Amino acid sequence: MKVMIVDDEAAIREALGRKLLRDGFDVVLCKDGLEGLRSFHVERPDLVILDIIMPEGMDGLTVCRRIREIADTPILMLSANAITEDDIIDGLNAGADEYLTKPVRLNEFVARVQALLRRSSMANIETEQRYDDGYLSVDLHRRHVHVNGKKVHLTPTEFKLLAVLLENSGRVVNQRDLLENVWGREYIDDVYYPRVYISQLRRKIERDPANPLYILTEHRIGYRFEKQTHGTQSLI
Amino acid sequence: MQVTSGLTLLVNGLTLAFALSFLIILLWYDARKEVTQFFAVFLFLVLLWNLGSFLAQTLFLVRGAGASVRLPLIMLEFGFTGSSIALYALTASLVKMYSRQFRILLLAALIILFSYRVVIFAAGAPDPFIIDVDGSLSLQSRTPLLLFYLLFDGAALYLLWRYQRKIRLRVLKFGLVLFIGGQSIGFLNPELDTFLISTVVGAVATLIISAGIFQQEIFRPLAERKSQVEAVRNVIASIASQNAVDSILELLVRQSAELIGAEGAAIFLLEDDGLSLKTTYELINDRLGTRLPIGEGVAGTVVQTGKLIQLDDYAREWKGSHEFAYASEFFGAVICAPLVAGGDPIGALMVVASRHDRLFDTEDANLLQLLAAQAAVAITQSRLFAGQTELNMQIEQSRNQLETVLVSTDSPVIAIDREFKLIFANPAAASLVGMSKTDSGTAIVDLLPASAFPDNLRKAFREIRKRRSFTYEAILGSRVYLCHVAGLGRPKMQGWVAVLNDITQLKELDRLKSEMVRMTSHDLKNPLQAAMANVDLLHEDIYETGSDDVRQSIDTIDRQLQRMNRIIRGILDLERLRDGVLALELCPPARIISSAVYEMREFAHEQNVTIDYLAADDLPLISCDVQQLERAIVNLIENAIKFTPTGGKVSVAAERDNDEVVFSVTDTGVGIAPELHERIFDRFYRGKQRGVEHVSGSGLGLSLVKAVVANHQGKITLESEIGIGTRFFIRIPGV
Repeated sequence: MKVMIVDDEAAIREALGRKLLRDGFDVVLCKDGLEGLRSFHVERPDLVILDIIMPEGMDGLTVCRRIREIADTPILMLSANAITEDDIIDGLNAGADEYLTKPVRLNEFVARVQALLRRSSMANIETEQRYDDGYLSVDLHRRHVHVNGKKVHLTPTEFKLLAVLLENSGRVVNQRDLLENVWGREYIDDVYYPRVYISQLRRKIERDPANPLYILTEHRIGYRFEKQTHGTQSLI
Repeated sequence: MQVTSGLTLLVNGLTLAFALSFLIILLWYDARKEVTQFFAVFLFLVLLWNLGSFLAQTLFLVRGAGASVRLPLIMLEFGFTGSSIALYALTASLVKMYSRQFRILLLAALIILFSYRVVIFAAGAPDPFIIDVDGSLSLQSRTPLLLFYLLFDGAALYLLWRYQRKIRLRVLKFGLVLFIGGQSIGFLNPELDTFLISTVVGAVATLIISAGIFQQEIFRPLAERKSQVEAVRNVIASIASQNAVDSILELLVRQSAELIGAEGAAIFLLEDDGLSLKTTYELINDRLGTRLPIGEGVAGTVVQTGKLIQLDDYAREWKGSHEFAYASEFFGAVICAPLVAGGDPIGALMVVASRHDRLFDTEDANLLQLLAAQAAVAITQSRLFAGQTELNMQIEQSRNQLETVLVSTDSPVIAIDREFKLIFANPAAASLVGMSKTDSGTAIVDLLPASAFPDNLRKAFREIRKRRSFTYEAILGSRVYLCHVAGLGRPKMQGWVAVLNDITQLKELDRLKSEMVRMTSHDLKNPLQAAMANVDLLHEDIYETGSDDVRQSIDTIDRQLQRMNRIIRGILDLERLRDGVLALELCPPARIISSAVYEMREFAHEQNVTIDYLAADDLPLISCDVQQLERAIVNLIENAIKFTPTGGKVSVAAERDNDEVVFSVTDTGVGIAPELHERIFDRFYRGKQRGVEHVSGSGLGLSLVKAVVANHQGKITLESEIGIGTRFFIRIPGV
């Protein structure tokens, strides 16, 4: 497994790199956003660790968006900058799968990296299940999602989330189950993850994200996927 | 002689007929009046006298000398003497100097007179009156009659002289004196043959007296009543043209004195708990404004009893204290009437005559009472009017003050009515949006940009209804204003008033501060991350193999780094909490305390403090931001551990209290002095308590807890005892 670390602070970059090396990962270190993007093309890492605020050139959010344009590679944001939840949500909205605030203990860091990699690999081997109502079609096995006939790119986390909801369609999946099944046990308290990803997902698959038809919110409990039997094309 | 006799008889007859007719009118007018009754008796006796004289002479004329004229002579004698007594009685009743015994006395006198006559008759003594051979009537034996005459006419004369002021009509006085004089003529020497003159003079005097009484009892009252009506009308008219209480009072005293013919007058008014001399007329008013307790002086007594007091001689009759120091020396007759408005006395009106001036009669008292009633009404009305004027003035004044405040303040103030039309804008507001005075009545939406109004109008109205005010940020041009809106008019809302405070600079400062906190935290967290990561690596590399010293050093570095992390996190948490944005979710309280205790168990272990927790079974779910609330409880636990000596204990609990969940954190620590209970929640406040100087911290912990609890509509309280321990309570409403 190859992990790329983009951080302008050499001390952090190197310490994290050393730990990952020690735990058996291949590590690529980059000192700024531009170098990170360049290396991403060359090295094709399995996971990217991104600092958000980098003084020179491109910041982490931009790098994240650029990577998302071309790949679904899991991205972990590591920032000293998070003051409010909105900061975290901004990061997740840019396409990150995970947001950690500095300082983070190395053991936890490695655990998160491993969970993220597990998640993305799990997303590849799903059931044969398919869903198609004419407007939205999902092929879980081949990881293809089409909306109104057009292919849509989902990040691994988004895809995993859609898969879990689809498998339980018609039933409410509560926050904790969602966190455990999509992100992993260690994320059980990161309650803002589902919220952010649900809204991301809605933006990609719903016709009107503000009035969702597929992914419905059960207030204070969780979310529910509702199959649309007669399609929604006719509504256009 | 006979011709003169005939003429006198005619005169007598006519005058007495007149007198009789006056009497009839008087009796018809008011038979119960004592003066009238006494006059009737008097007239009857004079008639008897004259009739006796007439009969005696007529009989003599008819039958010639020697005819039996005894009976007429007895009538004459009885009438002559009786009229003396009656005159006295009449005079006494005119000057009102009689009592109940007086009548009995009179009756006794008449009886004595009668018995005396009978005794004389029985004893065969000669009659006092005789008719001479030439027909002239004369008084022969004068002594007993003279005695009667001297006694009663003398007494009447004395009364007349003594109480001459009480009889106002000169004609009456003249009549009375004339009558006495006439009778005295009868006692002259019989040789002068003057008794007939006495009879004539007596008859004329009687006519004069009856005319006088007639005038006094009928004409004058009628005339006075007319003039009273006139007077009261004048007073009312003049009062109506005045507004100020003072000028009304002055008018009243003057009019009262003039109308009643008094020399001086005064008005006392009730103020608080005493009377105050308000105005005087022709009196020395050196005591103007001074206080007179109720019940003292004539005026005080009048106010206390509510009854009119009439005195004929102040010095002699008034035994109470004096409102005027010189009263005893100068005051003669006095009338004082209460001023009553709405059943309550409000003062007294007093008129005074000097010692040698006239006396006041009942009519005067009645007139004064009438004036007093008018005065009371006028005073009350003018007081109401004055009160109204005062109120108007105060309203005007406070309006001016308010306007000055509004005009001079830098904060824009805008008022609108229920139809959202502009009522008022102070100059600051006017210049802010380029309004002019002519804009009054224009819809407010046409005057201000949309950014000046609350985003959610419905919510704003709801808040105003509920809390009477609503505050939001309004943007006008490049400035940001904190706009405080309140309902106008209560209880019925007539509109709204908005006060704007320019907070542009504050907002900018706040933004800079947030920016700085953000930068600082970023700049601190990166080195912290690097250090921590390296400590972790070092730990892996040499913790197992290194010496105790190495291990201790690594532990210390690690702990200090964690502490630094907690401080930075505290600052950032507080910054985040200020936004007040909560990620609310339903959560069992037990989960919050269990994970909080879990997080702190290691720290407790390090400090050698045992920690336990207990959650009741019946806890309701709470709607909360789990992370925030957990942080709050963790902070409380951390504090508790820090301030608890080695070997102590910290207990965490969650209990139900009605619909609330009560979290509590109890320690066996040093305790918090009562005077610090409020201050410990202040940002950056660090307890300076003895014995805990070694304890480190950011000073942010409790302010953060307080902010979290406030964000959850909760309450935080504490109980503490120095040396024994402290217990913090957090109350959060359940779902």
